[in-house]
Parts: sequence; C-alpha cells; structure tokens
Amino acid sequence: MLDILGTIAGNILSLPGIFGLALGMMTRNLLLAAIFGAVIGVIETYIFAGFDFSQAEPLELTIAICVGVVAGCVGRAIRVRGATV
Amino acid sequence: MANNSSNEKRPGFIRRIWNGFWSPSGVLSLGFLLIAGFLGGVMAWGGFHWALEETNTEQFCTSCHSMTKNWDEYTETIHYNNHSGVRATCPDCHVPHEWQYKVKAKIMASKDLYHEIIGTIDTDEKYEDHRLKMATSVWTKMKTTDSRECRNCHSFEYMDFTIQETRAAADHQKALDEGKTCIDCHQGIAHGLPADYLEQYKLIAEGIEAAK
Repeated sequence: MLDILGTIAGNILSLPGIFGLALGMMTRNLLLAAIFGAVIGVIETYIFAGFDFSQAEPLELTIAICVGVVAGCVGRAIRVRGATV
Repeated sequence: MANNSSNEKRPGFIRRIWNGFWSPSGVLSLGFLLIAGFLGGVMAWGGFHWALEETNTEQFCTSCHSMTKNWDEYTETIHYNNHSGVRATCPDCHVPHEWQYKVKAKIMASKDLYHEIIGTIDTDEKYEDHRLKMATSVWTKMKTTDSRECRNCHSFEYMDFTIQETRAAADHQKALDEGKTCIDCHQGIAHGLPADYLEQYKLIAEGIEAAK
C-alpha cells in the first residue's frame, strides 16, 4: 500500500504532476489535456527506466499515466475557470 | 431592481474567498503576478526541498530511539570508518538519488514514525524478532533495483581488479560475467545478519527471477 502511495506521490511531484498540469492549462479541450498528461506519464517512465522500456515497471507506468491524465484534466479545469481565452 | 440586489444573500466566507481567487485582479498587473508567482514558486520549492534534505541526514535518521541498534551495528562497519575517511551514511544506502524514487522512499519511511511511536523495535529482543523481516525488505528492494543505491558510489566498470584482494577480484569478475548485483553477495554489509539469512535471500532472489 505504502509502495503505491509513494509512487503516486512521486509522480505528483514529478513530471506527470507538474508538467501535466502545466500542459493541461494550455488547452480548453478535455481530451487533449488528458492526452498531454498521459504522454508525459509515458515519457517520464521511459526516462526513469534509463531510456529502455523493457526496464519499465508496468505498475509505475500505469500510475504515471493516471497521474498525468488527472493532472492534465485539473490543468484544463484551471484554464476554463481562471481564463477567458 | 435595486431592491432585488439588496435582498441578495451575502455569500459565505469560503465562497467569497473562492470567488475572489478566480476573479481577475483589478489592481495587479500581469507582470506583477508573474514575477510574484515565480518568486513564490522558487521559495515554496526551495523550502520544500530544504525540508526534504533535512530529513536526509545521519543525525535525523538516528534521532529516533529505535535506530540505536542499527547505528551501533553500522559504526562497526567499513562504511562508517575506513582508511580513506569516505563514508556512506544512512541516506546514501537507503534513499535513492533520483527525485521520483526519493519521494517514494520518503513516503514509505512515514511508517517508521508509526513504529517508533508504538515501539515495534525499541528493545534488543524486539529488534532481533524483526531483523529478518527488515532485512528481507531491504534485500528485496536492492535486488529489484539492481543495487541502485550501491551503484551511486560503486561500479564494476571502474574497479581495478589488479589492486583488489585475489578472492575479491575473482568474485567481482565472476559477478560481472554472471550479471549479479551487489546485494547478491554483500548482505549484512552495514548491519548484522539474521539467522538463516542465506536461505531467506535465496528465496527472495528466486521469487524476483520467477516474476520476471
């Protein structure tokens, strides 16, 4: 349990959480924001696996994508709520 | 019309803060907000990072009573005291350098506070009862990550086998050829070993290999 919570927290404070949020704030399109976040999740896992997907843990990849998608959607919500453009 | 507006119920405190948070600023320029946001971000992130690093020191790790026995064992090892004076302290072996894994380790370490409070290992007897479980946890992590924390300092590629002891040189070259990892041979490098540790480590290694 702590292992999963730690992985989620690590992702929130890492690329998927922060960069996903920033990219989500660049669009008003929910699907696009989610895709941005998911892509960041994949990229981050790839980087931390030493640029070798065979070394990537499926659980870590899944969590990174989920955190990225959520962060992207939150970023999109911030854009919709906090900007008129 | 005016009568209607005067009869409107005033929003609650939290609602007013929420509305104010999402309203355009009437007195602050975009430049001011950007610069203030940047400075606030730097301070918040710097403060967070500083606090995290404060928990990444030997003094912090050994400030709990439960760590007394670990500490005593560690001070008997070469990672504490050696001819060169280069040391590996608690976080060097137990906290990953990579940001994401470091945060994960810190979250997982929160359980240590709980066990310190309830006194899970606050006597020698309790410590011995939990030694195998604690060692198993660390060995599993080391084996799974190819001894990532060891490799922050040690690397097969840069070992000069000609100045190592004959047995060490032979074993290191064999490990290199067979793709072994540091913890495969160096269990107990910094803390005492539980009874029957070899059997337990064999089970861990077989379990990890089977899961691949």
